[in-house]
Amino acid sequence: MRVANECLTAPCSAACPVQTDTRGYADAVARGDYERALELLLEANPFSSVCGRICDHPCEQACRRSKIDAPVGLRALKRFVVEHTGEHRRARRARQPVLYPERVAIVGAGPAGLTAAHDLARAGYAVTVFERGDAPGGMLGATIPRYRLPYEVVREDIDDILALGVELRTGVEIGRDVTLDDLRREGFSAILLATGLSESHSLTIPGIGSEGVLLAVPFLEAARLGTTTPVGDRVVVIGGGNVAFDVARTARRLGASEVTCACLESREEMPAHEWEITEALEEGIQVMPSWGPRAIVAEEGRVRGIELKKCLRVFDEEGRFAPTFDEGHIATLLADSVILAVGQRADLACIEGSSVQIERPGRLRYSERTMATSEPGVFACGEVATGPGSAVRAVADGHRAARAVAHYLETGELLEQAPVTHPTLGELPDAVAEKVRRVAPVALRHAPAEARVTDFGDFEAGYSEAEALREARRCLACAAGAFADDDRCAGCLTCVRVCPYGVATVDKTAAMPEEMCQACGLCAAECPAAAIALQRFGTYRMREELSALLAQIPESELPRPLVVSYCCLFEVTSRSFVRAHPADLAETGIARVMVPCVARLSVPDILAPYELGADAVVIISCADGECMYPTAEQRLAGRVRRAKALLDEIGLGAERLDHWKTHESAEVSWTAFWEISKRKLAQTAVKETVG
Amino acid sequence: MIVAEQKPFGQVKEFVEGYRKIMVAGCGACVTVCLVGGEAEVKVLASGLRIAHLQEGKATEVLEACVTRQCEPEFNDPLVERIREEGVEAVISLACGVGVNLLAEALEDVPVFPGVNTTFFGGVKEAGTWLELCAGCGECILHLTGGICPVARCAKSIMNGPCGGTNDGKCELGGETACAWALIIERMSRLGTLGQLETVQPARDWSTGHYGGPRRMTVEAVQAVAKEE
Repeated sequence: MRVANECLTAPCSAACPVQTDTRGYADAVARGDYERALELLLEANPFSSVCGRICDHPCEQACRRSKIDAPVGLRALKRFVVEHTGEHRRARRARQPVLYPERVAIVGAGPAGLTAAHDLARAGYAVTVFERGDAPGGMLGATIPRYRLPYEVVREDIDDILALGVELRTGVEIGRDVTLDDLRREGFSAILLATGLSESHSLTIPGIGSEGVLLAVPFLEAARLGTTTPVGDRVVVIGGGNVAFDVARTARRLGASEVTCACLESREEMPAHEWEITEALEEGIQVMPSWGPRAIVAEEGRVRGIELKKCLRVFDEEGRFAPTFDEGHIATLLADSVILAVGQRADLACIEGSSVQIERPGRLRYSERTMATSEPGVFACGEVATGPGSAVRAVADGHRAARAVAHYLETGELLEQAPVTHPTLGELPDAVAEKVRRVAPVALRHAPAEARVTDFGDFEAGYSEAEALREARRCLACAAGAFADDDRCAGCLTCVRVCPYGVATVDKTAAMPEEMCQACGLCAAECPAAAIALQRFGTYRMREELSALLAQIPESELPRPLVVSYCCLFEVTSRSFVRAHPADLAETGIARVMVPCVARLSVPDILAPYELGADAVVIISCADGECMYPTAEQRLAGRVRRAKALLDEIGLGAERLDHWKTHESAEVSWTAFWEISKRKLAQTAVKETVG
Repeated sequence: MIVAEQKPFGQVKEFVEGYRKIMVAGCGACVTVCLVGGEAEVKVLASGLRIAHLQEGKATEVLEACVTRQCEPEFNDPLVERIREEGVEAVISLACGVGVNLLAEALEDVPVFPGVNTTFFGGVKEAGTWLELCAGCGECILHLTGGICPVARCAKSIMNGPCGGTNDGKCELGGETACAWALIIERMSRLGTLGQLETVQPARDWSTGHYGGPRRMTVEAVQAVAKEE
């Protein structure tokens, strides 16, 4: 049997630093199984709530749907999942048994350290996390502004981790209160440093010591705590990265009316995410690309403004940071505060008194492959080791570190972890992309800029259920398409003739190249050899699903008339219709089977319910012309005609099979369809009695 | 390829009336390709029979099977074994007549009924439509007629056409049937060999075809070894 090449990953998953099963959770959402989606998310990423808010979503950048219209809103779907599974999530928390005598100390309770703690606790190690602040979360809790990431969201993830039995000791500064040697003496067999980059870089320009010149990290920390001193009306932020925009937007929310971000980089080179820049511009923040700081203008030791000089080039021919300026091109901005967001460095106080060596000031001596520092049993992960990165990259590094530490504890050896690349399907070929139906993405709703700058409230609304379902259906299910069983395939070319995307080929036997297949399932439904199945939708699976549903009610108690309704999963706006409860069946006489596109139903699928005792079958497809798969409606109509003809031949009557097209939505029209079909059955019964 | 079409459901159902354990046996070759007798159609027919029996309150069992090619005894062997082991009382074969013959021969005391009507040797005109293109007449003359067979494609199988019934490229029988001789002339004109048609073809000896009785074909080298074994 030829199955999909398991080595090829969908680009979204491959791009995700923790290889989240993005297609899996999008599919689970589309099926209304939000709990399953949560399990998939948490399996890859214990900081799923955080990433649902602030992930830089490399998955979306890699999404093959970009070639058609716009990427699937995976980050927002993730947020939807965690926001709709809170109860389930709390209920699944369980303390993990300690299986090994070795204890692990983790220094720093940011995403990297806590992910490692999570993995090591799950592996059976006793883990203690030391945090110098009052609360865990690292930069997520201390500096990322609340309007982007409320602390309760961070806490949701952390509570999961602590529930495993991870011990958290806050207010303990390693290197000052306790040394690494003290930790060893306390019985920790391995130590993982995950202290992040907690110190802001400063500049050496004239006037830098003036009052009103602030550093990004302490400024953001104070803003989170609500302890900032007034910043005045005019604020200039130096820097063009994400932190700079956090600072600028925070300053705006603290009351500054004129906020300007000035940075060395040109507009195109600015390292901040484009969406951060756009949102900042919406909030009235000015951006001055290609300007570098020259001097702080101060009066009586207090900042009054800043002189900027035109930056001609940031990087040299080799790509090294080597800015050149036009010293004659100067701009002066008035400012009540100047806030520097020009990068961060590590505070390595934690290694004081230990033999852990540094490469250079602020940089540990560290092996990227083994994650080991110069001292046996001491490892490092997250930004303190890798330099600046996103939250999800910190999580990925935490996973790696947990593997490194566990291996060391088990074997006494260091684990070499070479960088892993995941071969992907690549871009969607143009010839296929042009045949795929365009479906506009569900836009995220943001509060109006003028309203959101008035406080630190969450400005982005998560998807509603209907929106999440709609967006999840946009996933192309890359690499989850059709595959043929060579032993059965007759090479008849039916798949080639029905494939609406021109994907199927036959060379002795059929093949549907996974980099192109859109998983519409038409070939599987039409294959005369029943030789084709979909990765996620087995041939003739409907019968099993229906049998399982009917088996939940004793045969004598099955309601009459019994109508089996195959329903297009893509037409529901809430999961109330998605899940078939035996109680609903007993009450309504309608056995619902949701199908991700009813055009996948084969003739045997349509007939199966009658064999299982149904009085009638109702197929409800999308609204007319709305099916996302070209020609699928006509193909299904052909199969319905065939089944009706056979029902007539059998003597059961074609009228026992109805094919409806959804009007507006499932909630609006389906119940009416079922009623009409039931009434028709009742009339037939009367006629038969009279006859 | 052999082309077949399904028999009416009622007729097939009647064949197996009174049997309690029935098997629908498909074939993975020609009848799969022409969409009437492969694994999917086995499921459809079996399902239809089960539904009909359920309506009539009959306690029958309908089994499903499909073999690679019913025209090869070796492929049928496991099927025959299964039929015996499971005590199948009657078989509906969705293979062409060749498959039905061979299965019936192997099964001896279990009746085998045809589920399809074997119709012709043909090819696909377009998805879902097959045309008769060869009559298996036993003496191929396609080299004389531009690759278009007058035996299979002319309603009268005439050797020196067209007849007076040709009408705008269509056969006088009507419908969509093309006049084979109109096609031959058009094709040979394009090939520049139209002049060859001036040679009058003598009357055919039809004994090379079915009219000469059941035929047998042997490949001597293979047959000799098989006999020795």
